[in-house]
Amino acid sequence: MAKESMMTGCRAAAEGAKAAEVEVICSFPIRPYTAIMMELAKMVANGELNAEFIHGEGEHAQLSVILGASAAGARAYTGSSGVGVTYAMEVYSPMAGGRYPAQMAIADRTLDPPGDFGSEHTDAMSTRDQGWLLGWACSPQEAYDNTLIAYRVGEDRRVMLPQMVCQDGYFISHIPDTVTLGERSQVKEFLPPYNPINHLSLTNPVSHGPQIRPDQGAPMDAMRAQTFLEVPKVIEEATADFARIFGRKYDPFVEQYRLDDADIAFFIMGAHSNTARAAVDKLRKEGVKVGMARLRWVRPWPTHQLAEALGHVKAVGVIETSTSYGGAMRGGNLIHELRASLYDLDDRPLVTSFMSGLGGETIWPADFDYMAGVLTGMVKEKRTDRYVYWLGM
Amino acid sequence: MAKVHEITVWARGVLQDKEGRDVINIFAKAAQMEGKYAQAFDNYEDLPDRVLVTVRKYVRLSDEEITHKYVYTNDKPEVVVICEATIVKGIDVLRGMEPGGTLIINTNRSIDDMLKLLPNANLLATIATVDADAITGVRTVDFSGSEGGVDATGIGKGIAAPIVGAIAKVTGLIKKESLAKVVSDVSGMERGFNEVKIKHLKPAAAELVGAAAGSKHSK
Amino acid sequence: MSKEDKMAKRLPGYGTIDIPEDRVVPFGAVTPAPVGTQKLFQTSNWRVVRPVKDDEKCTRCLQCYLACPDACWTYKEETDSLEWVGDFCKGCQVCIQACSVDGALVAAPELDFEGGVVRLEKPF
Repeated sequence: MAKESMMTGCRAAAEGAKAAEVEVICSFPIRPYTAIMMELAKMVANGELNAEFIHGEGEHAQLSVILGASAAGARAYTGSSGVGVTYAMEVYSPMAGGRYPAQMAIADRTLDPPGDFGSEHTDAMSTRDQGWLLGWACSPQEAYDNTLIAYRVGEDRRVMLPQMVCQDGYFISHIPDTVTLGERSQVKEFLPPYNPINHLSLTNPVSHGPQIRPDQGAPMDAMRAQTFLEVPKVIEEATADFARIFGRKYDPFVEQYRLDDADIAFFIMGAHSNTARAAVDKLRKEGVKVGMARLRWVRPWPTHQLAEALGHVKAVGVIETSTSYGGAMRGGNLIHELRASLYDLDDRPLVTSFMSGLGGETIWPADFDYMAGVLTGMVKEKRTDRYVYWLGM
Repeated sequence: MAKVHEITVWARGVLQDKEGRDVINIFAKAAQMEGKYAQAFDNYEDLPDRVLVTVRKYVRLSDEEITHKYVYTNDKPEVVVICEATIVKGIDVLRGMEPGGTLIINTNRSIDDMLKLLPNANLLATIATVDADAITGVRTVDFSGSEGGVDATGIGKGIAAPIVGAIAKVTGLIKKESLAKVVSDVSGMERGFNEVKIKHLKPAAAELVGAAAGSKHSK
Repeated sequence: MSKEDKMAKRLPGYGTIDIPEDRVVPFGAVTPAPVGTQKLFQTSNWRVVRPVKDDEKCTRCLQCYLACPDACWTYKEETDSLEWVGDFCKGCQVCIQACSVDGALVAAPELDFEGGVVRLEKPF
């Protein structure tokens, strides 16, 4: 049986890449994701992983290298953090539109100014329109699992899209927790080898990424959007298969914790959901009917699943660890799409947001008490007072 | 929730980074063998360590599962371990400690010399020194583990072993036998256990030492 | 009242963002540049040893003054005095290596001296 061991999220992601037997890795250092590449370099040097390890001259180079590798038919892997993610911005859309299912491991970090190592989700969230699959892990175990699930979903012939597997910098990437790695046979059963469509080849020459006319633009975009209608089904199949083979069950899109009979709910993503779960347990003991919904996939956004999970709740507090300056709610990112998901319900919940964990600060259990107090007040008054509350001052 | 014991280890960047990490990893592993719950990690803000900067490592021990995992620092350290004595001179290592805490220093100087450098020594109930450098004479330096906590050269070959032995003797939070299963240099650990010099002090009453008690997270 | 103002009264507000005085960050994260000495990053607590000058042997070659990465040696031509600034010295010992005279600069353990280190509340 597979052994449990203590490892950080970075090491878990590297183990995931090793289990997936990636063929091309392109690295460039930036904290906190650097440790993933350090681990992979060690594995390649020791002969545990047979991969081409290329050191790029920047994050833009990293993504360009793996675009080429994936185009040539290799399973490619890279990663970044914070401003590195935004430096590579140009390459994201060509990779998604060209249908190269490589993977990028992101350990979140705040964007400059100034240089702060703490974790904020804005770095990966700013790329959500580029057409990649995007999801967050809440523990090193889930970082390992998501690496495998993302490859399985991304390389599925109905999908063929690149994936970003994100984890909070420091909280997940640098604090060790128990992880059970999969056996080789389990991984082989779950994740078939990469079977590319129209890869660059000497025997069957193809052109990748030529210019198109304006009138071809609309159908091209529509075909890319069509894929995203298929993706949720593939995610459900892959997650169910994962549970069958590895024994770890995840709700494919939204982890629902004590939500069935809840009056108020926390909507959260990433590492702080662990503190949220403990806070929910404590508040429940005090008689507050609170639950938690944790989002696992940002792209594709689970609109109907969220409406189903949160529709019966009276007030939802979105815990934002990312910023969207000047956005409709003048706060973060998640609230916009959550409100959109709940808009068409007959009896929609009141929604507000709490900017917390910014700068990579811890969200304290007392903060959750405060948020529950605000939400309970909203339910009593039957109105939303404000769109956004700023914590951590 | 059961009490969480917080232990902070101070070391010098790069040159003692591995030793500091060894101390916390040995502790956490030994505690887990005894059936306790432990968490061991570096202070994130101190990494990337620069040569000679003060770096902190944290261990937390509890009899029940630790639910508040994501705290950046040990705000109320019960035990403070100093791997290099000069650290005490330049920084307030007892910050946040509640009265009745413990301080353990790796030095060959006398306890009274050390006490002269601590303006807030009235927080301490116990102070101890162990001459780990004389016991092993080895300080392992390893650059591969500063990000990610993977140590290739084995745990507890250098001054970490006597220091861990000293912590076990002074605090009693861990058994010497559990440590012996984890540490590479068992004799060094035993010598640290036996040769640590301990002095018991009278800490000031909690009401007189105002600063640490009230704040939620002293930053 | 304009239509927009009337609308805003019925809808939830953006709320106020109250930042306490002592938490305010400089505008655009622009900090004053250190000219001469700066108050922010005093690295004296990094050192384990400090350089001790034997004034008899020193020939004022000024190699230490040139070598120090933190400009911790100051030289006054009028008085021919070469002084060590302790607030920033990290104990890197480059000055000791650079010294052209044997024994004019030696490293002594910091703990042998009283004071000389700027004591900080917490690391930066």
